[in-house]
Amino acid sequence: MKTFTVREVDFSYSPIIPIFQGLTIDFDSRTTALVGQNGAGKTTLVKLMKGLLKPDKGELLVDGKSISEQTAAQLAKRMGLVFQNPNDQVFKTNVLDEVMFGPLNIGFSKREAEKQAMNALRKVALESKVAENPYDLSLSERKLIALASILAMDTEMVIFDEPTMGQDFAGKEKIKAIIQELKAEGKLVICILHDMDFAAEVFERTIVLNQGKVILDDETREVFSEKEVLEKAFLEQPSVSQIAHALGFEKSFIHEAELIQFLKDVQRLNPDLS
Amino acid sequence: MGSMTLYVEKNSLIHHLDPLVKLLYVAASIALTYILPEPLFIAGVLFITFLLLVVGKVFRNSLPIVALSMVLIFSLVIVQGFFHPDNATELFAIGPVVFYEEGLTVALGLVLRVLVMVGAFSVLILTTRPDEMVERLIKKGMSPKIGHVILSVLQLIPQMRATMGKITDAQRSRGMETEGKLLVRIKAFFPLIGPVVLNSLNETKERSIALEMRGFDAPGKKTFLNEEKIYPYNKQFAGMLVIIILLAIVWRVIG
Repeated sequence: MKTFTVREVDFSYSPIIPIFQGLTIDFDSRTTALVGQNGAGKTTLVKLMKGLLKPDKGELLVDGKSISEQTAAQLAKRMGLVFQNPNDQVFKTNVLDEVMFGPLNIGFSKREAEKQAMNALRKVALESKVAENPYDLSLSERKLIALASILAMDTEMVIFDEPTMGQDFAGKEKIKAIIQELKAEGKLVICILHDMDFAAEVFERTIVLNQGKVILDDETREVFSEKEVLEKAFLEQPSVSQIAHALGFEKSFIHEAELIQFLKDVQRLNPDLS
Repeated sequence: MGSMTLYVEKNSLIHHLDPLVKLLYVAASIALTYILPEPLFIAGVLFITFLLLVVGKVFRNSLPIVALSMVLIFSLVIVQGFFHPDNATELFAIGPVVFYEEGLTVALGLVLRVLVMVGAFSVLILTTRPDEMVERLIKKGMSPKIGHVILSVLQLIPQMRATMGKITDAQRSRGMETEGKLLVRIKAFFPLIGPVVLNSLNETKERSIALEMRGFDAPGKKTFLNEEKIYPYNKQFAGMLVIIILLAIVWRVIG
C-alpha cells in the first residue's frame, strides 16, 4: 500500500450536524500525525477509513482503487486500527488469545498466528503476560496489548488512536520504536495524537483537523511553526517550540536536540554568555 | 445513552398526572374487570382507557404494544372458542374446526380484559418517565435500593447494546465478518454474548461502587434532587378511583 486517499467525503451521525463536508486528504508513505482538539473528527475519520462507518458521500481509495464496497472485516487484512480505549477492543480472556484473534481471522494458520502474536508481544515487552486475563492488567498494559493485537496482523497500514495516552516515558519509547519499525517496513502509519511533543518528535507529516476541516497539512516542522493557526484550533506548539519562542528565537525548533545544538552554538560564539 | 423506556415526551393532561394516580388507575381498571366481568362493562372500561390514551396523545404509540398482545389474544380466542368445557352451541366451523358460542363469549371477556390490562399499562408507561415514577415511589416510602434496581434494569439493555456495538466494531476491525447474510450474523453473534454480558455486569458493578462512594447506602434521611412536583387534583382523582371501585363492589354484591 503506497497511498490512502479520502476523497470528497461527507459524513454525519445525525442529519442536523454534519461532521465532514467534502473532506479530502491524501495519506502517503510519510508517517502522519493527526491532531486537533476534542470533537474535531479525528476518531470519526479513522473509523471511516477503516470501514467501521460508511461515508454518506465520497470515496476512499487505496492506491487509487476504491474500497467503498469492502466490509470492515475484508479491510482488516490490509489495515489495522488500534482503538483509543483498549476496553473497546479487548474481549478475550487471555492475552495470547486476544492477540491471536486478528491473525487467525485474516487467514493465518494457528502456528503462524501464535508466532506473530509472540513477536508482537515482544515488541511491547509484554511476552511474559501471555497467560493472564487482559482485564487483570493495568490500563497502560492493556493499551499495549491492544496495540500488539493489531501489530500481529502485519497489515500494510496501521492507524493508532491516541497510543501515548496514559503511557509513561518507557511506554512512549516503545511506541516510538514500533512506529519507526513499521515505517522501515514500508507501511503506512497514521496516528491520532494529543501529545504535540510526541507528534513533533516522531512524525514526518502533521495534519491539523478543526471542526471537520483540514486547516494545516504539511511537514511537521512547517505545521508546528504556525503558532497562530494552531492556537485557533486550540492546540499548542510542542514544548521545545514554545521555549524557543519564549527565548525570542526566530528559527523554528521541533526537536529537543535541535534547540540544544543551537544553544550550544550560541554559547560557543559568545563564550561570556555562560 | 438512551434508556430502555417507552415514555413518549408530550405535553398532555395525562402526562401531568401523578404517577401514583396512574398506577392506581392500572390497579383499579384491572380490578374492575374482575369485579364486574360482563363483556359490556369491560368494554366500557376499555373505552375509558383508550380515551385516556387519546387524551394523553399516545394512542398511536400504544398500537404496537396492543399489536404485540394480539398473539396472546389470538390464542385465547382459539383455545376458548374451541375447547371451553361449556361449549354446546355450534356457531361456525372452519373445515374440521368447530367454534362454539359459549367459548367465544368467555373468550370475548378475556380478550377485553387483556386489552384493558395492556391499555392501562400503556397509559402508565407511555406517559410517565420511569425516573419520575421511581422517585415518587421512593418518596412514598419505597426502598431506594429497589428504585435503583428498577432503574438499572431499564438501563441495562441500552448499555448492553452500546457495548455490543463497540465489541462488534473491535471484531470487525480485526477481520471477523459481522455484516451481510443471516448465517454470517448468527455466527458473529455467539462470540459476542460472553463479553457483552460480562462487560455489562462489570459496568453495573462499577456504577454501584460509584453510588456507594457517594453515600447511597448512608443511614439517615435523604433529600431529593428534584423538587416535588405539585400535581393538581391529585387527591380528587385518587378518591374518585377508590369510590368507583367501592361502588362497583357494592353493585356486584347487591346485583
